[in-house]
Amino acid sequence: MNIEEFNNAIKSKLYGAYEIKEDVDHYGNDNSWIILHEKKDMEVIAKAVKAFKGRCVVATGYFNEADNTHTVIYHFDIDGMIINVQIDTDDKTVISITPILRSADWAERELREMYDVEPIGHPTKDRLFLDYSIAKGVLNEYISLSKMQMGVSDTDVLWNQVNKGVKA
Amino acid sequence: MSEVIPKLFRINTGSCNGCDVEFMPTVLVEKFGVSTLGVEMVEDIKDANLIAITGPLTARSESFLKSAVSKIRHPYVVVGVGTCAITCGIFRDSYAINGPTDKIVDVNVNVAGCPPRPQSIAEGIAKGVKVLNQVMNGEATPKTIDAIFKDFSAPESFRGRMDLNPDMCTACRTCETVCPSTAIKITEIAAGHVHNIWHNSCCYCGNCAYFCPTGAIFSTNSFDTVKLQSEKYEDVNSEIIKSSTCSSCGDTYMPPSRGLLGKGYVHDDVKKLDTKICSKCRKEANFKRMYA
Amino acid sequence: MSEKVEIGPFHTELEESVYFKLEVDKNRIVENVEIINGFIHRGMESLVTKKNFMQNLILTERVCSLCSNNHPMTYAMAVEQIAGIKIPLRAEALRVIADEVKRIASDMFNLSMLTHIAHTHQLMKDTMNTREHMQDLKEVIWGNRMDMSSNLLTGTKYDLDERKIKIILDTLDVVEPKIRDLQERYENDEQLKSKTVGVGVLPLKDALEIGVTGPVARGSGINNDVRVKAPYGLYAYRPEIQPNVSLSLREEGDVHARAMARFGDILEAVRIIRDVVTDMPEGDTYVDKRPHIPAGEAVVRTEAPRGELIYYLKTDGSQKPVRMRWKVPTFTNWEALKVMILGDKVDNVTMILNSIDPCISCTDR
Repeated sequence: MNIEEFNNAIKSKLYGAYEIKEDVDHYGNDNSWIILHEKKDMEVIAKAVKAFKGRCVVATGYFNEADNTHTVIYHFDIDGMIINVQIDTDDKTVISITPILRSADWAERELREMYDVEPIGHPTKDRLFLDYSIAKGVLNEYISLSKMQMGVSDTDVLWNQVNKGVKA
Repeated sequence: MSEVIPKLFRINTGSCNGCDVEFMPTVLVEKFGVSTLGVEMVEDIKDANLIAITGPLTARSESFLKSAVSKIRHPYVVVGVGTCAITCGIFRDSYAINGPTDKIVDVNVNVAGCPPRPQSIAEGIAKGVKVLNQVMNGEATPKTIDAIFKDFSAPESFRGRMDLNPDMCTACRTCETVCPSTAIKITEIAAGHVHNIWHNSCCYCGNCAYFCPTGAIFSTNSFDTVKLQSEKYEDVNSEIIKSSTCSSCGDTYMPPSRGLLGKGYVHDDVKKLDTKICSKCRKEANFKRMYA
Repeated sequence: MSEKVEIGPFHTELEESVYFKLEVDKNRIVENVEIINGFIHRGMESLVTKKNFMQNLILTERVCSLCSNNHPMTYAMAVEQIAGIKIPLRAEALRVIADEVKRIASDMFNLSMLTHIAHTHQLMKDTMNTREHMQDLKEVIWGNRMDMSSNLLTGTKYDLDERKIKIILDTLDVVEPKIRDLQERYENDEQLKSKTVGVGVLPLKDALEIGVTGPVARGSGINNDVRVKAPYGLYAYRPEIQPNVSLSLREEGDVHARAMARFGDILEAVRIIRDVVTDMPEGDTYVDKRPHIPAGEAVVRTEAPRGELIYYLKTDGSQKPVRMRWKVPTFTNWEALKVMILGDKVDNVTMILNSIDPCISCTDR
C-alpha cells in the first residue's frame, strides 16, 4: 500500500480540487498529506479508507485567529501507512464520517467538545470528557472564563501562602 | 486508651494514576509494612475512617467527591497522596481543575511525591493511623510527627527532595523556567535573590537539576515528604543568593557564582579573577586595557 | 424486569475513576450499558500550549504514569521531525531500553490487577512481587519507580555504563524464569480460567471496525503493532530487534486471551532489552540540550504498552506549541468495551474493564 495507490482510488471520485503532499518521516514511513477544499469530499476519503480496510486513528483541530476559521485534520491508517487529510471550515461544521467509519466516533465528538466544530450527522450528542460546568470549545480560549474572572491564578494564591510562612 | 481499627478507602479525583498504581503494591506487597498497621481495606466508603485521596480534583470529580465525603461517619482522617492532592502540582491553573482537595475536605496528612514511593505512601498511612488514634481519644494533633517506619532506605539515584547550593547559584532562573509545576520561585530582595523550592508543589522530575548550568540545584535521595497539613506551606527550601557591591562604581550586582566561573574559565585559576567588580565596570576596564 | 446497577466512580476495583450505568435482567446479564468518562479530564491539551517545550517533557510524562515513557518520547520525536534533527543511534537504543522496561512493568501491573479482581490471591501476589524487581530497577537506573524522566528533545537525559548494564541484565535473569512460570500458571490455572475464558469476547469483525490496537487487538488476532507495521527509532534501524508478534497473537478475543497476549509482549520485551544492552551503539546521547524549534507540523506514532500512540504537533517558532494533540490506545479500545460487556454478567464488568488495560488518565487527558 502506498499513497499513489490511494490517490488512484479517490481521484476520479472527489468533488472538489485537492492537493497531495507526499512525505516520509525520518525512519522511512509514509506520512503524506491530502488537503481538501470541499467538505463532502471527506466522505469520499472515508469510503476509500474503509474499502482498503483502514481506520480513522484520530482527528485534530485548531483555530486560525487570522481569518476566524478552523482547520480540521483527520489521521487515517491503512495497514501501517498514515494519511493526514486536512479541511478548513469557516462555519464551524464538518460532515461526520462516523456513519461510514465507526472508528471516527470519539474523534469527532472531541472536535465538538474542544473546538465547538459540529460533525453534522454524528449519531451521538452526549459529552465525552468535558464536564457540563465547562463551556464547549474551551480550547479556542486562552484561559477559561471562570479563571479569568478571578484575576489571579491558583499558583499565585498558593505561593502567597508560602511566602507568608517563609517571611515569618 | 482504646485502639481504633483503621478502615482505609482510596479516592481518585483525577490523578495520572501514578499514585494509584503505587498505592496497590503499597498495600499488597509485604515489604512496605502496611500489614503491620492493622489497616483494613473496605469496599464501601460508609465504613471507612481513613481516606486516601489522589489527584488534583477535576471539575467532573468535584460533586462526586463532595457526595462521597458526606457519607463518611465522623471522626475520620484524610491522607492526601501525591503532589497533585496537595497543590494540584503540574496540572494547576487548568480550566478543568478545581482543587486542591483541601478546598473540599479537611486534610490531615500530606504525602508529596510524583508519584511518592510506596515507602512514603506507607509512612503517610501510618501517620494517618496515628492522627486517627489521637482524634478518637480526644487528643490534639501535634505540630509534627516523627517517622514511623525507620528502616526504609532509598538508592543513591532516587530523585527525592531538591536542594540548592547557594554558592553555585547565580539566580539565572533556568530552573524556574524549566520547572513544569511552578515549584521554584526566585524573588529579588535588597540583599540579592531569594531562591525558594516548595516541596509540596514539586513533581520530583529533576528537570531543574538537569538544565542547571552550574550544578547549583540538585536532587537528594531523601523521601522525607510525609508532613502534616499544618506544615503544608512551610515545607520550603529557602536560600539567599547574595548580591555584591561593586568595588569600582558602588552599584549592587549579581556576582558570577563559583559554578559559573568554573565553567567559563576552565584552564585558569578562578581565585585569581577579580570578582569584586560588576560586569559593566569589568567591560570598561577590559576595553581600556586593550584599546586605550 | 430490568434492574439498574451503578458502578463507580470511586470503587475499590477501579484503579481510576469511571462511572458505569448498567441495566441488567433477572439473570444478572447486562442489557444496556452507559459509560460516563471525564473524571480524569485535566485539560491537558490546553495546558501543553501554555508551557514551554522543556516543561512539556515532564507534563507529557504526567498524561499517564503507566505509559509515562511513551508520551515524552513520542512528543520528542514530533519535535525532532519538525526541527529536522536525527538523534544519535545510542540515544535511539537508550529510548528503546527505557520503553521496553516500562512495557514489562505496565503489563505486569495489569496482570496483577486481573488476578486481584479474579481473587486468585497467590497468582496476584507472585505477579506483584515479580513486578517489584522491575520497579526497583527503574528506581536504581532512572530514579523513580514510575516516571523515569529519561527523554530529552534530540536524545535522552540518561546514559548507561557497564555497571548499570550489568544491573539490568541481572534483573532480567531473575525476572525471566519467574515470568515464564507465571505464564504457564495463567495459561492453566483452573480458577482463573473459569473466570476469564469466554468472558468479555471481542470478535475479530468488531475489533477491526472499532480500530482497536495493542494487546486488545492481539487478543482478537490482529497484528497492528506500530513497532512492526511502521517501525521507528531503533526498531527501524535494526529490524532484528522488532518483536515477534506471533508470540502474542491469540484468536479467542476474551479476557484470558488478552492476558496471554500481554505475556507474549512481556517476554519479547525482555528479549529486546537483552539484545539492545549487549550491543550498545557508541556515541552521544543527545544532539542539543535546548534545540531551536522552527515553525512546522508533524505526525508521529509509537507502540505504547496498550497499543498505538499518535502525536500531532504544530509549532510557530516560539517557545510553546501552538497545538499538540495525542491519541492513546484506550481512546479507541474503549468503544470495544460496550461489545464486550453487553450480554455478559454484571459481576464481570470490572474484570472486563481491566482486560482492556484501560488507561483512563491517557484517554480523558
